This record gives sequence, C-alpha cells and structure tokens, in this order.
Amino acid sequence: MGFFKNLCNKAFPKSLWVYHTNTGACNGCDIEVIDVLTPYYDVERFGVKLVGSPRHADVLLVCGPVTRQVVPALKRLYEAVPDPKLVIAIGSCASGGGIWFDSYNIVGGADTILPVDYYIPGCPPRPEAILHGIAVALGLAEKQVAREHIKQLVDRNESIPIEDEVGADEVVPGDDVPEELLTPK
Amino acid sequence: MAAQQFGDSLKEKFGDRVLAVDAAEPDQLRVEIVPESLVEVADYLYNDQGCRFVINGGTDRRERNGKFLITHFFAQDEEKLYIAVHAEVDGDDPRIDSITPTIPGANWSEREARDMVGVVPEGHPDPRRLVLADDWPEDLYPLRTDVEHGVKPPSCAGVAMPLVEPPEGASVVPIGPYFPVLEEPEYFRIFVEGETVVGADYRGFYNHRGVEKLGCSVLTYNQIPFIAERICGICGFVHSTSYCQAVEQAAGIEVPDRAEYIRTIVLELERVHSHMLWLGIAGHIIGFDTVLMQTWRMREPLMWLCERITGNRKTYGMNLVGGVRRDIEPEVYGDITDVLAKIEKEWRALCDAIPGDPTLMARLKGTGELPEEKARELAAVGPTARGSGIAIDVRVDHPYAAYDRVEVKKCVYDSCDNVARVLVRLDETLEAINIIRQALAEIPDGPIMAEIDEEIPPGRQAMSAVEAPRGEVFHWLLTGEENRPERWRVRAPTYANLQSVPTMVTGDTLADVPIDIGSFDPCFSCTDRMEVTDVKSGIIRVYTQDEMLALRESKQPAR
Repeated sequence: MGFFKNLCNKAFPKSLWVYHTNTGACNGCDIEVIDVLTPYYDVERFGVKLVGSPRHADVLLVCGPVTRQVVPALKRLYEAVPDPKLVIAIGSCASGGGIWFDSYNIVGGADTILPVDYYIPGCPPRPEAILHGIAVALGLAEKQVAREHIKQLVDRNESIPIEDEVGADEVVPGDDVPEELLTPK
Repeated sequence: MAAQQFGDSLKEKFGDRVLAVDAAEPDQLRVEIVPESLVEVADYLYNDQGCRFVINGGTDRRERNGKFLITHFFAQDEEKLYIAVHAEVDGDDPRIDSITPTIPGANWSEREARDMVGVVPEGHPDPRRLVLADDWPEDLYPLRTDVEHGVKPPSCAGVAMPLVEPPEGASVVPIGPYFPVLEEPEYFRIFVEGETVVGADYRGFYNHRGVEKLGCSVLTYNQIPFIAERICGICGFVHSTSYCQAVEQAAGIEVPDRAEYIRTIVLELERVHSHMLWLGIAGHIIGFDTVLMQTWRMREPLMWLCERITGNRKTYGMNLVGGVRRDIEPEVYGDITDVLAKIEKEWRALCDAIPGDPTLMARLKGTGELPEEKARELAAVGPTARGSGIAIDVRVDHPYAAYDRVEVKKCVYDSCDNVARVLVRLDETLEAINIIRQALAEIPDGPIMAEIDEEIPPGRQAMSAVEAPRGEVFHWLLTGEENRPERWRVRAPTYANLQSVPTMVTGDTLADVPIDIGSFDPCFSCTDRMEVTDVKSGIIRVYTQDEMLALRESKQPAR
C-alpha cells in the first residue's frame, strides 16, 4: 500500500479532478463553478478537471446548505470518493448555512455532515475567488485571510451583537489535511 | 372592467355558492366560494372559460377564524386576468375535494398543500408526499403558524417514499439524485423496455429550503427581497421583482417610472444571460462541449456588465419594495449597447448555425415531444409552452414594470419537440436585446424609489407575475402584522414544467432522457424553494435498510 499512497500523494497536488455537488443551493454558486471551467477563467490550465462520477474524483465541491432530504445521498457520495480526498465548501451557504441556517429543512453548512478542508465564502463567490481557493488547495497561492471564530446570530429579529472573535488562529489551510498534501512538489 | 364582468358571470352561474366577489383591481379577481363547490367552479373556469391553472396555496388562519384558507389561482390570458378562488375549510379536520382529476396540472400543488399545512385533497390520484424529507414526521406541518420556523425533528434512517411500480416487463433506470448532467439533486426513475422509455417517476424537492416559512415568520417586508433573490441564483431578479410588485400592489405604492424601466432592463439582461447559459448546458448534455464553451465565452462580458449595474454578477441586491436601490448611470448606457451589439452579432451567427447542424438536429428533432393539449393540461409555461404552440407570455398578457411601454413579440413554435424549445430561446434572446434597446431609448429621468411613510396595512392581497427566462413566476401575498406578510406563496416556472417530464420522455430512447429534461431548463432550486408540510400520504411504507437494498437489487436494469 505504501507505494500507492506515495504515488497518490505525489500526484495529488498536480492535477485535481473534481466532482461538483449541489446540496440545496440556489444555483448561483453552481453556475460560477461552471464559469470557472469556461474560456475566460479556464481552470483546466491548473490541471483541474470536472468529472462525471465521484469515483473518479479527488475533490468534492459542495455548494449550498445541506437540506434534510439530501443528507443520506451526500454521505453516500462522500464515501464514493476514493481516498485521499479533499472537500471544498463553495459559497456562504455551504460554509455555514448562509441565510437558511435556522430553517426547518436545513441541517446546516457542509461541515455538519462532511469534514470540510477549504471554505470559499461569497454569495456567490466570484470565479476569481473559486480559482484562488483551488490555487490555495494546490499549494500555488498563499491564504489571504486569517481564521476567525464568530458566533452566529441566534435570533434574526433582535440585533444581538456579534461576539468578539475568539482570537485569530494561526493561518492553517484546513486542519485535517496531511501536511505533505499541501506542499507543492 | 374584465374582472367585474367575470365576477358577475361567476355569481350568476353559481348563485349563493359564491360567497363574495372582489374585483377592486381591473386585472385581479378574488372570489370566495363554499368548499363543496370547488371542483365545479374549477371545472367551469378551466374547461368552459379556457382559464389556465396556475397554482394553489394553503394558509393557516386558525388564529383568526379557526379555518384553513385554500386558494386556487387561475389565469385568463385573453382577458388579462388573474383569478384567486378562496375556500375556507374546517380547522380541526381540514379536507377539500381534489381538482387533480379535472386539472392534472394541480397534482403537485395539492400534494404540497397537504405536506405544508395539512389540508387533505380527497380523491387525489397520487397522494404521496411531495416536498418534505422522507424522514419528516407525518403530523408536523411546517407552514402552520403554531410550528416554529426552526423546528428540527430528529431524523431517522431507512425511511423512503413509496415508489411507483414500473409497468409489467419494464426495467427501472435510476437517474440521480446526483447525476453528472443535472446540476442539482433530483431523483428520476425512468421505466424502460429495451431502449425505449415507457414511463417515469420523480422524487424531487431535495433543494427545499423553507423560503415561504422564513418569509412569513421571521423576515420583514424589506428583508424578503434578499431571500427571494436566492430562491434561484440564475433568475433571482424575477423573484424579487415579483415579490416587490405584490407588496407594492397590496399597499398601493406607486413605483417611479425610472425604477420600472430599470427593472425591465435588468430582467431582460437576466433573460439574455440565462438563455445563453442554458444553450451551453444543453450542448454539454448532448456531448457537444464546443457549444458550452462558446456560449459561456459570449456570456461572460454580460456578467461583468451586470456586476457594473447591480454590484453583483447575479443581479442580486437591486430590488426593494417601492423601487430599486441603484440607478443605472447614463455613462453606463454606452457600455450596455456595446456589450449587447457584440452579443447580438455572435448570437445571430449561432442562430444561423444551429438549425443547419446535422448533429444537433439529429439529437433534438422529434425528441421530447409535448403535444399542445398535454402542455395545457399540465399547465406548462414559458418557452416550454411556447415550444408547444401555446402563445402565452406574461410580458404581453399581463404587462408589468415598463413592458406596457415597449414592444414585445411572443416567440412561438409549434413542432412541440426539443428543437422548438431551442428555437424559442434563440429568438427570445434577440428579442430581449431589442427590448433593452427600446427601454434605454425611452428611460425617463426621475427618482428610483417611492417614498413610503405609512405602514403596510394587514389583510390586503395581491397577485403578481413576472415572465422569467423559464416561464411565468407567480407570487401571491397576503399582508400581515408585524411588518411581514401573513402568507407569501411562490410558484416558480419549473414547478409547472417539471410535471411534463413523464409525457416528454415516454417513447424516446434512454439516451434522449437527459436532453428532454434539460430542454425546459429545469431549475430545481426554484421548484423546491418553499415550505410545505406533509400530510399523511395515504400509505407510507417504511422499508428497512435490507429491504431497500433488496429492492434496489431487484430493480437494477439487466446487465
């Protein structure tokens, strides 16, 4: 197994095959993801390719808040992606539930169901932001914002002040990713 | 006064079974009837008066009068009229006769009303759950006022909706919930005999986010446009426009002329980019990626333009109740015409190329047939209806914003197949460019927001429709207290069009199914938007995981 693992680790930063999934999104992020593949942004120049089956993928792109109905399908989808794998949450909804966070049919952001490695927030994120996020995942670019913990407003009607951030952590692009995957070879 | 006349004729026909007629607006008629005569009234409107069924909606009014309000909406396009038929049903044992046997297009909305407020449609031919998740409890109806918007009942594994059995001898090909050519999760079960499709079943609403519940329970009038835009990321502006128009109408707010023109321009920009996007996806679905790359290349400058005008590539954040938030500065006019001129030139080349392309024609011609009669029965709208020879277009039939001041041509084809739907969209894109030019030439100066100093009074109603790229978007609003609507009902075009899938795919080969589904530009996020509660769906079978697996094995197509 060691041989294959090394091979995977070596190949991983060079060419990411992505499978794109919508877990309840409004389509805004989805069409920006497709936009990134088309001539003006052309993400294929970084070796990124959109594939038609999760079994061919290295990366799962998740758009949208996770709805109740989609949970079992999403879990199966995640299991179908072979290891090692990355999960990238695209858009505000996938990053934390977005404006739907407390709706009855929403479970939350993608990280309530899957371990998410990278977040690309925005509503929707611009194609450039998606490109940047992928470049960070590939180790081609540096992360530009520090992590912040903020508490989400609980009641929409009362303007509870957002709690002070609990200190900006060290800049760590994804806690669960083995360090060797993040270093460009 | 078409509304008044129509109301009088109903009163004459049904006598005291019509409890009240309200024709305050010339283009909107509200009728209250006794629930027992609903089927009769629906039959009269649909079959004798040639009305089109739009949607229905349930409202929980038990706090006010102990009853549920069920409203069926119809459109009479020749008379430029929208009709709301209200019926109040008992709050303790809510039941109403199903109109689906009379109007097949009412199938989903009646199931939705049962899911969401718990009003049982009696005699419904397919009383399964529609909107709520499979593991949602049977007796919890999210749209009822005594249910919190954030209620999250515990989930349980291994529950599945009862599925339709395939016809004798047919195999099942499952498509979805995740399928490469469908951007969004939806589950189709296609029944095939050999290569030929003989039927289909559908389980959708994976994208159901509870928009209507949020609108009626936590947001305020001016916060809703923000969430309405996010019903759909492609045609968000149509939803916020439709919602704002409904509030403006209910509250009697006069929108300034300039704001109406700006809305018209942005709506048409959205149509252009949406149709370009769709053509690319359609090309991708049939394996012709050059079409995808070319149309999206052509589309990109338009997205930059939208960002310049609205501040967001998705035309978000423009609409507010009473007008628009941002003006289109005169120095941008030139950029708009330049971008459109370039798009028009390239699009015309595409319009010449597509009908002569043998590969495309071989895939599109004669597939996905939706005969005119069926399209009307299933209440299809937009390019799907216009591709089947039904000349309906909200911009002409029920003009809103500045559409009564520009010339709009309906683009209609009658070959009823995928080619027709492609051609309709090709023409409409050029037509949209034409409309933007007219609007830019005539746009008046002036304010872009109405002054609103009074509170919006409760208990007022309004119906508002907008022609989205995919068809008619319909919003109904009942104003309430605490600065928010009591009920906000949304019907997106895909909701109507999606019900045509079984008709379209039947008789085609399996390979044509993705393009058939793609041909009406499905937007599942719109369709699944709202909240519905579930009601007891007759028989819900609960499968254990083993049974599900066994079922799955047995239903796999022969290898």
